Amino acid sequence: MSDPAATRHAWAEQANATAKQEHGTIHYEGAVAFGGETVHRYRLGNGLVVLVLVDASAPIVAYHTWFNVGSRHEHPGKTGLAHLFEHLMFGETEKLKAGVFDRKLEESGAETNAATWVDWTYYHELIPADRVRLAITLEAERMQHLVLREPQVASEKDVVANERRYRVDDDVEGLANELLYKTAFVRHPYQWPTIGWMDDIKGFSPEDCVAFYRTYYAPNNATVVVVGDVKERALLVSIRDAYGAIPGQTIPAEDVSPEPPQIDERRLELRKPTASEKLLIAFKGPALGDADHTTMTVLSEVLFGGRASRLYRALVVEKELAIDVRGWVSTFRDPGLFECGATARGAHTVDQILPVFDEAFARVRADVVSEEELARAKARLELGSLQALETVSGKAEQIGFFETVLGEPAHAFRRVEAYRRVTASDLRRVARRYLVDGSRTVLRVMPEPAPSAAPAVPSPVPPAPATP
Amino acid sequence: MTAVRTRTRAGSPGASPTRFDLAGGALALLETSHDVPLVSIVIALRCGSAVDPPGKTGLARLAMRMLRRGCEGFSSEQIDFRIDVLGAEMAVDTSHSTVAVHAQLIARNLDAFVGLVATMLGTPTFPAEELERLKRESVAEIVEARDSDRAVAQKAMQRTLFEGHPYSLSSGGTVPSVQNITREDVVAFYERYVVQRNIVIGFAGDVTAAKAPAIGARLLAGLPEGEAAPDTVPEPTMRPGRRLLVVDKPERTQTQILVGTRGTAPHDEDHVPFVVSNSVFGGTFTSRLMKEIRSKRGWSYGASARAGVDRRRQSWVLWTFPAAEDAGPCLKLSIELMDAWVDGGVTPREIAFIQRFLVRSHAFDIDTATKRLHQGLDVECLSLPADYFSAWTEKVRAVTPESASTAVKSRLHTDDLLVVVVGTAAQVLEPLRSVVPRLSEVSVVPFDAE
Repeated sequence: MSDPAATRHAWAEQANATAKQEHGTIHYEGAVAFGGETVHRYRLGNGLVVLVLVDASAPIVAYHTWFNVGSRHEHPGKTGLAHLFEHLMFGETEKLKAGVFDRKLEESGAETNAATWVDWTYYHELIPADRVRLAITLEAERMQHLVLREPQVASEKDVVANERRYRVDDDVEGLANELLYKTAFVRHPYQWPTIGWMDDIKGFSPEDCVAFYRTYYAPNNATVVVVGDVKERALLVSIRDAYGAIPGQTIPAEDVSPEPPQIDERRLELRKPTASEKLLIAFKGPALGDADHTTMTVLSEVLFGGRASRLYRALVVEKELAIDVRGWVSTFRDPGLFECGATARGAHTVDQILPVFDEAFARVRADVVSEEELARAKARLELGSLQALETVSGKAEQIGFFETVLGEPAHAFRRVEAYRRVTASDLRRVARRYLVDGSRTVLRVMPEPAPSAAPAVPSPVPPAPATP
Repeated sequence: MTAVRTRTRAGSPGASPTRFDLAGGALALLETSHDVPLVSIVIALRCGSAVDPPGKTGLARLAMRMLRRGCEGFSSEQIDFRIDVLGAEMAVDTSHSTVAVHAQLIARNLDAFVGLVATMLGTPTFPAEELERLKRESVAEIVEARDSDRAVAQKAMQRTLFEGHPYSLSSGGTVPSVQNITREDVVAFYERYVVQRNIVIGFAGDVTAAKAPAIGARLLAGLPEGEAAPDTVPEPTMRPGRRLLVVDKPERTQTQILVGTRGTAPHDEDHVPFVVSNSVFGGTFTSRLMKEIRSKRGWSYGASARAGVDRRRQSWVLWTFPAAEDAGPCLKLSIELMDAWVDGGVTPREIAFIQRFLVRSHAFDIDTATKRLHQGLDVECLSLPADYFSAWTEKVRAVTPESASTAVKSRLHTDDLLVVVVGTAAQVLEPLRSVVPRLSEVSVVPFDAE
């Protein structure tokens, strides 16, 4: 029986021997078990990592390109550049006029979009299997030949400003979340929003964008993830031919200041027109790669996950003080936050809700949770992990995300194993370590002005004069 | 009780779920996939919020949500805990034509989960205190939804466009209508509508054709056969003329703009040409709306047009959300684009382009068992033509520029429009009303109006 790895090595060597120089080289770096499937890792001579998972369950392919750049790589005064740049990547290239990138993909039936966050930016296509070469060609083209001129940049800045109004300025939860991170972090770039401050968005020049492009959009700063109904070798040859000639670049050493320990409780208040008071609490949390991250995630499920969780039961069901509760351990490369939140119900206040939170936090610090609660939390997390793998896009996202943030494309499966190993005493340990009253940020959102007291009936206004 | 027969619907292979009739009168649909060890179960009624009694909108949704609030041997708390510990989730989804319980779970726990749900369905206790608790929760959710400008705009469009018709009523109800619902209402709804002949039950995922009939029978064993709900919803009508409704909300930097009118119905002979033409106008990232509003002018993050599909003719709605200072010009351009589309039609090149998109992207409509199941459920619960999905690509291919243009021109009446704008009225009212030609009515309502 042949060794699959040796076969792939041999094939890559053979492909390199017969390739033209400008096509670059392919190197096989091994296989990674991904549940019952396998991810194969390749690297081109210019540093581009290619991860391939063949899944022939449907005649479609998810093609993802993950760049190791996010808002953490920005600087004060230039926040939002990574996100603005994500928009610009759908614009003109040397070979494609404005709008042609999207039209070509749509004409092939493909769906395409992108996302930017603190640690990464990624671009994705979901494309019929017989059209995957188009995705390869287009992604390679915009990795090296993007055109960045004033009209394109100016128009896209307006679009992003409108996106910010939609997601943040006119959305009280978006605004509160932004303020929470701005307050909880004093040094680390996680303090500014990925969409950027409005003044920074408006201030970007084409030169800023060109410099960003030349610095970060390089094959050796990217990972291509392909999941779907592909012929592995033909796919790799196409990728090599499209990307192989793009030179690698010197990626600057990251200049990120670690966040100093928070030794005080930071309290702040936000007044906005909103239906009810809201409470956000943020403790400093572990980095995604920290062993405590999975343990904290289980603890978050015990406290906030689902209708049977402790705080949902206490605040929504029993005391009826809140409409909802939520908890999330940020999935960032560096230590982030354990975000906790609740929306007050009707005339109830955060002053009533906060003691219930504090009691719940004190309880998990003092006592171990029951085995039943632990089993409940683990079952919910297992369900969520499986749901993330239902589609080829879901698989590609899991692979790309964990590869980019942790360098482990199959980390999703390691996490499931880690969840299973978590014990009740582990939960108490992380509760004592992270849920520290004196080092948290507490944000209250207060309604202002009061909700309209106007009668709920139409107020007739004379129509404007008719126009022809 | 077991399945009496199994049959496969005609149409494209793989595009239609396997169907089988259960002995009690329910229809079951199955899409098997062993890719991931998950099972989806949907229990859908052949009626939705359109059957809510006057003054009690929200009843259908509330009644189905009450399933989690107590059954023989289980309190609400015990049900919630049991669902979680089985690695399952469960939610209720309500529309005018159907209300459905959606569940998904880890496949190894299927037997235990089916036992739980069968008990919930067959022996609900509807505890009075739990109903009052759920009503308070529902009212709080309705009030909280006012934080979302988009949701406020959609609700205002819905209740105003087809005023007086069941489609104008919110499936979730209003504060007074939810408060008005009694335990007797819930029990009466359940006894009348949660019966086997009024149920379509769907399975997708890691469950086989050999097991699904018995599971379906077990789930519904505690329910009477009953009768399917009659479909009495009339065709919706709208008031003539062009109306502007500004929903006043303080401190808005942006507006949510909706332009609505009567759209298409799935049994119209020109339904597919209408949908195809609408895709040219506002259905993709490179549509006319996106190109003109976002790409050229940067006025809005998005701009789209959607034709609703239901048993009766539904709304056609254009949506965009420019900054407050751009609201007037953006609305003016939107109406001009709509007029040009309705009057001038679409070009052969545009049709050829969108046909390629719609036919090729069909692969993503059917790539998972859950998606295929939901298509089958839509056919049944929305009374769509039997080949609505299975013959979709052939019908799209058959559309011509002429048929597409004719469909839009005959169905969309641009003299009858409702423009809904959520924004700060003091800032946007005058710019808005000056840009809509032939306005017959302008109204301003507070954002917390019901």
